[in-house]
Amino acid sequence: MNYRKITSALCIGMLSLAVISPLLWAGEPGKLLMETIDKGFAILKDPSLKGDEKAQERRQKLWEEISPIFNFEEMSKRALGQHWKSRTPEEKKEFVELFTNIMKNAYIGKTDTYSGEKVVIISEKQDKNYATVQTKIITNKRTEVSVDYNMLNNPGRWTIYDVIIEGVSLVNNYRSQFNNILIKSSFKELIQKIKEKKRKEETSTK
Amino acid sequence: MRSSVLLMFVFIFTICVCKASVRAESSPVSEGQPTETPQEEKTPVINKANEDGELKHTVSTGQSDNTREEDTTPAIATQEDEELQHDDVKSEPPLVKDPLQPYNRAIFTFNDKAYHYFIKPIYTGYNSMVPEKARVSVRNFFTNVKMPVRFFNCLFQGEFKGAGTELARFVINSTVGVAGFFDPAKSKFHLERQERDFGQTLAKHKMNSGIYIVWPFIGPSTVRDTAGLAGDAALNPLSWISYFFLTPLEGFGNYSYDTVNDLSIDKGTTYENITKPAIDPYIALQDAYVQNRIKKIKE
Repeated sequence: MNYRKITSALCIGMLSLAVISPLLWAGEPGKLLMETIDKGFAILKDPSLKGDEKAQERRQKLWEEISPIFNFEEMSKRALGQHWKSRTPEEKKEFVELFTNIMKNAYIGKTDTYSGEKVVIISEKQDKNYATVQTKIITNKRTEVSVDYNMLNNPGRWTIYDVIIEGVSLVNNYRSQFNNILIKSSFKELIQKIKEKKRKEETSTK
Repeated sequence: MRSSVLLMFVFIFTICVCKASVRAESSPVSEGQPTETPQEEKTPVINKANEDGELKHTVSTGQSDNTREEDTTPAIATQEDEELQHDDVKSEPPLVKDPLQPYNRAIFTFNDKAYHYFIKPIYTGYNSMVPEKARVSVRNFFTNVKMPVRFFNCLFQGEFKGAGTELARFVINSTVGVAGFFDPAKSKFHLERQERDFGQTLAKHKMNSGIYIVWPFIGPSTVRDTAGLAGDAALNPLSWISYFFLTPLEGFGNYSYDTVNDLSIDKGTTYENITKPAIDPYIALQDAYVQNRIKKIKE
């Protein structure tokens, strides 16, 4: 009888260890990332927030949970590349706002089609104040999408400054676009283009 | 009776061997990451020189090294390095040469219109008629038929374990997987599909990516990947079947069905995910294509 108890206890112990082990070996950035993702999923799974009519409310809540982990200023800075330095503080501020808006519109809307995707953490590399967390999204069709997060320790807080989906860096993608525009036209025109896009999106969603 | 049992044993044995080989294959991959770190620790200049050969050749200008450094080195970059990187970006030539941009942009616009007004309505209609599970099965079937493309490219790239995996996958999926409509090789035996194409093979053999080209209906490509497409078509049993047994129209129908089915599952959304949030969709797609190809060639 006792033996059985011991073995079952051992089994349960090992099982729980297997379940929590990724959390044990994951360092701080990975942990924070996974926690944030779990919080996001909790909102998406919340039955009181399901359905199209709740979309706006759900998106807002999700944004509040998820956005603190992103470092939009760093993203904007890297997306502008060499053009960042020559900008005035006001221009920088405006640009960060616009870029944050692009990210919000582009990626929060995508969550409306959430259908039980899972995220698993694959590996984590950390070097001083920089870290890369490799994850995989597993869809319910069993396709896997590799997503890497580049993170930065902003005094005491790990934040994401780039997301790399199947080898495509988000920041590099925007930098290519911005560079291409800035070769031919001024920074003002770039801002104009981004605003125009924002306006179009707003009218199309209304 | 006895022979069938024996056959089962042989079958299980082969699978075990393959699984072991897959594991053995995956370990060098994970070892491959630490090898990157010493490279990163060297000065950027040496790093550039030491960059694995194929990368130099994937992209026509040295700029790829710049952007790649940006991808990989931030892990160790200090504040000053970061400044340096930003300085590096100053010379910013595009990732790929695009002298045909006016033509390419025209084709891109055509493709985009064709996608939104012609192809998307077709596949959304198809979606509403055919349940997702069936569509995934159709994709599995076509994927299984196209096994020689992956098998031979594995061989051409010297990935013998990969070729073995593909062979085992083909045997399992064609039998247990009911002519390839299901994918038990992945779900039950954890044998991953080896995404190898002829464009990668050419890159591994040090061919330059060449200029960027957008093809009508096919989409983004480079000179090398166009040659790759031709190579893959030659390896694709579907093209042999079309050539020998079908009229051109039937062959085309076959090809289109495969494509539409693929689009209906996830390719369509991928395209929209890239182009919709973009300020300049043409550049966004080009950059995504090139970055993704670099990753696939590195693997």
